[in-house]
Amino acid sequence: MRFLAIAVAAAVLIALPLVTTGYVVYLANLLLTFTVLCLGMHIVIGETGQFSLAHAAFYGIGIYAAGIAGTTFGTPFPVSILIGGLAASAIGFVIGMVALRMRDIYLALATFAFGEAMQWVFLNWNAVTGGPNGLRIAPARLFGLELVTDKDAYPFVVATAIAMLVLTVIVARARLGRSFRAVRESEIAAQAMGVPVRRTKVVAFGISAFFAGIAGGMFTLFSTYIHPDSLGFQTTILVLTMVVVGGLGSIGGAVGGAIAFGLISELLRQAPSFQEIAYGAILIVFMMYAPKGLFAFLADRFRGARHA
Amino acid sequence: MPELRTPLLSVENLTIAFGGLVAVRDFSIAVAPGTIHALIGPNGAGKSTTFNCISRLYRPNAGRILFDGQDITRLPSSAMAGLGIARSFQNLELFNELTVYENILIGAHCHCGASLRDRLSARPPHLAAEIDRIIERTGLGAYRETKACNLDFGHQKLLELARALAIRPRLLLLDEPAAGLRNREIAILDGLLTDLARRDGLTILLVEHVMQLVMSISDRVTVLNFGTKIAEGTPQEVKSNPAVVEAYLGKETALHG
Ligand SMILES: Nc1ncnc2c1ncn2[C@@H]1O[C@H](COP(=O)(O)OP(=O)(O)O)[C@@H](O)[C@H]1O
Ligand SMILES: [Mg+2]
Repeated sequence: MRFLAIAVAAAVLIALPLVTTGYVVYLANLLLTFTVLCLGMHIVIGETGQFSLAHAAFYGIGIYAAGIAGTTFGTPFPVSILIGGLAASAIGFVIGMVALRMRDIYLALATFAFGEAMQWVFLNWNAVTGGPNGLRIAPARLFGLELVTDKDAYPFVVATAIAMLVLTVIVARARLGRSFRAVRESEIAAQAMGVPVRRTKVVAFGISAFFAGIAGGMFTLFSTYIHPDSLGFQTTILVLTMVVVGGLGSIGGAVGGAIAFGLISELLRQAPSFQEIAYGAILIVFMMYAPKGLFAFLADRFRGARHA
Repeated sequence: MPELRTPLLSVENLTIAFGGLVAVRDFSIAVAPGTIHALIGPNGAGKSTTFNCISRLYRPNAGRILFDGQDITRLPSSAMAGLGIARSFQNLELFNELTVYENILIGAHCHCGASLRDRLSARPPHLAAEIDRIIERTGLGAYRETKACNLDFGHQKLLELARALAIRPRLLLLDEPAAGLRNREIAILDGLLTDLARRDGLTILLVEHVMQLVMSISDRVTVLNFGTKIAEGTPQEVKSNPAVVEAYLGKETALHG
């Protein structure tokens, strides 16, 4: 089953640029970027059970850091992407150390406030971010290679997404991943087993920010322009909705949610004012009726129907 | 004569209050190494509160806690496992969505090894035999891959114990491990705890209401009532102590049962 899913995914990823137009490849690049955002969100909320409503801010930090590195300083793009990830995680660790003294709704509010503050910084730090004019991003470069079109960028976007997926699996299987889940399931018991709860949460938050920053770096591979408008709370909510729709706590859910919901959201793009209400409604409906996500819900239904 | 040996755990003049309510007042207890020491008393006497102070979840208002001669009163709760102090929880604190095996593996958090290979391993090979043995001893063999939340209550209690054993404890703090167990399960617990103390040399501090278990396995019994120690001695001495009978008035059946 898992093997089949991987085979199908590989076939689709390879065939896509051969049989489709630029727009579809652009959409694929964007969905893969959101997949990495979702993996980061999965680590902090799905594995560790902590709220983070600052995901778009870390994404933005990654975009600006990688974009400026590549455009102004001409760094090769693998280095730019890494700079994006490291910048986001460095700030993520610091914010995590402060915010994770709080829990639940207070943690949610603190990270939300940080996200809003960062969007204000993006909008007003004209010298660095270009402020409300946005920032032009030069084509990504690696030695002689220059990524101009979406199709040029595509293989590298895919490779980065796969690398991040593998990294997610490695973390989940490791002792660190067990500590994350222990904290999620019972902080008191985790502590009694010798898991340093606060530090573990900060590490989860930092890794999650790293993923968001890498996603920001991926964005600079196929985009020529970034504006702070797309780095606000609605982007965080979109990622959160994707993870919830896919199924909290499972890596497959995070990936599936990003792809499935990313497509839905692209369809809803035609009606932007309707979009946010729709996300909110979908989020609530899923949390109430399918808290384990779309795929688990469908699997249950399918099993139920067979047994009936 | 266990009394003459230096205690592995000694609590000295412990006092803790919640708001105006003094839950434990000037309480001292010394637990000799390799013994099973029971802490009994009516509901609300302060037994779990004492446990929470020892395992550093609560901060006492006064008093000291010494483990193997070291003052642990100010250490963080997460340092206890590394020292060799393990506990179970009266109201179950399992990792519900995780399997039996993973619950126990997290108990071995401090023993996963320091190499990158060990740290990244989903099932560290050097722990496999030890965890198998724990699973076998606690009778959880049929449930290795069952989620903790899907176990029945008795097996959940046993999993709490199994997870605590994976800490490789020198001191085991058990808060009502027999509550809700059936007679057959209590008999298993009786044998296991005795074995742990006599064969493995573990020191056990046990809070328990099931008197038949307490009286059969304990070397020493301390009785707490309204946060104050009212009696201490061998099971026989405590059983016939008038103050204890008084505290349990109307519950004598429990004492002898
Ligand atoms: N966290 C807490 N906050 C307030 N009161 C508490 C707390 N923990 C215990 N208590 C109180 O302390 C007293 C002793 O409780 P406890 O130690 O749980 O008794 P038991 O001997 O039954 O385990 C009770 O009156 C209880 O209500
Ligand atoms: Mg209690």
